Amino acid sequence: MNSPTFNAWKLVSLSPLPSWALVFLALGLLLGVALAAWGVRREPSRGRRVLLWALRVGAGVAALFFLLEPGIRHLQVARMKNRVAVLVDRSASMGFPSEPGGPTRAAEVATFLEKAAPALAGLQDRFTVEMYGFDPELAPVTPASLAKEPPRAGSTDLLAALRAAAGAGQGARKLSGVLLFSDGADNTELKSGVVGRARAALADLGVPVSTFTVGQEALKDLAIEGLKVDDFAFVRNSLTVEAEIHGRGFRGKEIPVVLSQEGKTVASKTVRLETNDDVKPVSFTFTPDQTGRFVYTVTVPTFPDEAVTDNNSRSFTLKVIRDRVRVLLVVGRPSWDERYLRGLLKQDANVDLISFYILRTLSDDPGVVNERELSLIPFPMEEIFDTKLDTFDVVIFQNFGHADPSLSIAEYERNLERYIHNGGAFVMIGGDSVLGEGRATMPTLMEALPVAAAGPANVEPFTARLTPEGLRHPVTAIGSGASSTEAAWGELPPIPGANLTYARPGATVLLEHPHLTANGKNAPLVAVWDYGRGRALVMATDASWYWAFAAHRDGSPSRAYDRFWGNALRWLVRDPDLTTLKVTADPPSVEPGRPVAVVVQARSADYQPAQDAQVRVELFSVATQKPVAVQTGATGPDGVVRLEFAPPDPGPYKLLATAKKGETDLGKGEDAVAVRAVGPELSDASVRPELMEQIAKVTGGKAYKLPQDGLPDMPLLDPPVVEVGRAKDQPLWDRWYYLVALIGLLGAEWFARRRFGYV
Amino acid sequence: MSARRLTRRNLLLGSAALAPLLAGRAHAFGEKNRFIPAVAKHGGRWDARLSGLRRIAWELQRRTSVEVVPDARPFALSSPDLFEYPFLYFGGDGGFPPLNDAEVANLRRYLTYGGFMLADANDGSDGDGFDASFRREMARVLPQSPLAEVPSGHVVFKSFFLLDAAPGRLLNKPQMMAANLGKRAAVLYSQNDVAGAWSRNESGDYEFDVSPGGEPQRELAVRLGINVCMYALCLDYKDDAVHLQLILNKRR
Repeated sequence: MNSPTFNAWKLVSLSPLPSWALVFLALGLLLGVALAAWGVRREPSRGRRVLLWALRVGAGVAALFFLLEPGIRHLQVARMKNRVAVLVDRSASMGFPSEPGGPTRAAEVATFLEKAAPALAGLQDRFTVEMYGFDPELAPVTPASLAKEPPRAGSTDLLAALRAAAGAGQGARKLSGVLLFSDGADNTELKSGVVGRARAALADLGVPVSTFTVGQEALKDLAIEGLKVDDFAFVRNSLTVEAEIHGRGFRGKEIPVVLSQEGKTVASKTVRLETNDDVKPVSFTFTPDQTGRFVYTVTVPTFPDEAVTDNNSRSFTLKVIRDRVRVLLVVGRPSWDERYLRGLLKQDANVDLISFYILRTLSDDPGVVNERELSLIPFPMEEIFDTKLDTFDVVIFQNFGHADPSLSIAEYERNLERYIHNGGAFVMIGGDSVLGEGRATMPTLMEALPVAAAGPANVEPFTARLTPEGLRHPVTAIGSGASSTEAAWGELPPIPGANLTYARPGATVLLEHPHLTANGKNAPLVAVWDYGRGRALVMATDASWYWAFAAHRDGSPSRAYDRFWGNALRWLVRDPDLTTLKVTADPPSVEPGRPVAVVVQARSADYQPAQDAQVRVELFSVATQKPVAVQTGATGPDGVVRLEFAPPDPGPYKLLATAKKGETDLGKGEDAVAVRAVGPELSDASVRPELMEQIAKVTGGKAYKLPQDGLPDMPLLDPPVVEVGRAKDQPLWDRWYYLVALIGLLGAEWFARRRFGYV
Repeated sequence: MSARRLTRRNLLLGSAALAPLLAGRAHAFGEKNRFIPAVAKHGGRWDARLSGLRRIAWELQRRTSVEVVPDARPFALSSPDLFEYPFLYFGGDGGFPPLNDAEVANLRRYLTYGGFMLADANDGSDGDGFDASFRREMARVLPQSPLAEVPSGHVVFKSFFLLDAAPGRLLNKPQMMAANLGKRAAVLYSQNDVAGAWSRNESGDYEFDVSPGGEPQRELAVRLGINVCMYALCLDYKDDAVHLQLILNKRR
């Protein structure tokens, strides 16, 4: 049996007494020394007094020595091998040249590690050296694989790599240090620098990170950075897009910057770069005039010798939605019908109501001498029916039809018809001046309406009847389902009178008169249709206010009137939730090399999910004005299908969808998607040595720059020492001379006391 | 009290003026959608100003584009038929007994869901008579909306005519009171017997003298009546931004 080899020792107490007993005895000794000192306090001779004190203290120490039984413990110990992680950035920016015309940043790292291999091997007696590439997942690499395989990762996340390195490795071995090789072009957590939580996270690693920055900052490049724009904007409201133009090597140059919407220039500006590495903000303010999703692109020219050309343009999608529905209400004369509609529209926070009422006609005599006694204003016909007509989302004519030249809109009828045809929304509410009543026939405007006059009005009260189409149409859906809607309409009070009209071909009648007929069919009460790109609705009565007020006569509250007009407005302005085919790019901005996906939701005419509908989506390039690809699919039980296109070239695209169920056309819809030319990784070729220096500083490491001649002397945590064998105790107290010293001290004190007269 | 002596000439003139006005619009679209004042029946003397209401409807037809039926239709306050007449006149000469619970509930519902009520102390009372009874009942009908003075900038003073005060047959109080539901004045209350200034007898003569301002005050009372009707019909239309500058200029 081999005796163990001890390579360390330490002083220990071998006393069998428990700690509390040792403490108690030590206190007793102290008390003895103190009493002895007290006993000789009156001794006039200072020398004697000191001698007696010294002898008693010496005896106390000797006694304590015997109590503690000191000994030497011989040990066998060893050092554990800790880990040292070498982390190499494998993001795409490491593919940029380290200097103009030089090797790539990744290649320069590979060359250095090749050269430093012997020095790294020299660390192996104390550390296990592990070499990883991060993208940001860690994967083992070698200098050879680094040189061979180009970096491809779409982002740089230094902090994630450091966290992963701290948790990786073999068994429970701790990390003694990290060697981080990167250009510092972090575009995730450390994008804003070593601040806040990122700083705390780095400090929490508890490991010195020595950084090796690769790449020079002198590349010539022009890039669009820091694009700031909201995901959505309000139509006809100005919007600001902010971008930063980062130019390196363009000192004194004026750079034109263009903002375009799907190939059409929206705005342009010029910025002047003052220094060789300059960032200039540029902002564009413009006013989108259409709702929908559009692709916008900010572009700067491409110059020769630029390190990266793909970052000279940047696209984004912008969803343009309506702010508040801007409603123009034109009223032929004040009436209860007008009063309740106004009350409803004014209390709707989503409606911006602009109204004009004819309060006096030429035949009225207000009985004033001076017009200043009246609050009346001129009727601004030209302004509202010509110059500002297109600013309204919905135009409502409420029993508005005048033959008097001063109030007739004959001159503007064509404007109104074109307004509807070009995408506007129009409502004609009946009464005794329109739809066959009164003298103003408005033939041009009537072309755009879903009904035509058929004779004199009928003033008999009647209860409006829901048609089969009305049962499923969103405008008349005032209940939570078909049966609830039908019941809600049935409960409403009769209304006194309706204009007699007939539905034009293509019109959808939602509510009808139960017995009044025209052209052999029941006369429509509410009818809708699409006219050109616009929509029109006719309410062939001036008594819908009965649904607002008379409906409460029996005490039960009714929301039917509010819901009907609310639905009507939403349908008229094409609220996305009320379209039969909803197309949504998923996501609206696609990173380079990623597929374009689209979600299509199909609903049938009754707005129920259309299962098994055949959906066709065309990916249409806005840049080339040509279709790029087509995908088809069938909807599931929820009426939804998701389709994917193979990654297309960068640029703006439209997703044009159509759907059919059997022979029934379910309509069409579209959305926009921007395929980016470069992701965040390649949009900036700059090197960030200051970030690398901060990382080293916060973690206790050192910062270096490549190239280096060899591996520098980096701070690494010492591996811990652990006992790895048996221990052997060697007593010290049991020597005879210690006992002689104790007896000698006690005897000398006794002798001195007796000699000085204390015993 | 008659303000003008009934003569055959006045009677003929009055009838002649009314006839073409109503006949000319007889072809219109049914009367239910026209302006017809409803009159609240209560336990006191509620029907003292029916001719005034017919007259103000007639004036509304003559002076504005509003289509009216120059009538005044009485209803019990508990009647569901009130809900076909969004304009209700609640007047009285002297106090009246408390309304029953059904009347209070129906009137509250009427006002809450969009009805408008013009209250008018025909006796010009203040703290007694009609005034005391009406305030007592309003505290029951709209307890959360106490009557408050109508500010001079309220839209009712510019809904058709530009006015500064609210005179009636009397000028006890320069302004009216209002009970507001949200931003809407659901009740306007005059203590100046405003309908008394409008009232004419069957021969077309004004029934009451107007004091202290005489005939000019009567004209202002008629204009106030038209403004009140216009407010009931158009709500805050004249508060729209498009009118503000022009009205401001006219008031200068």
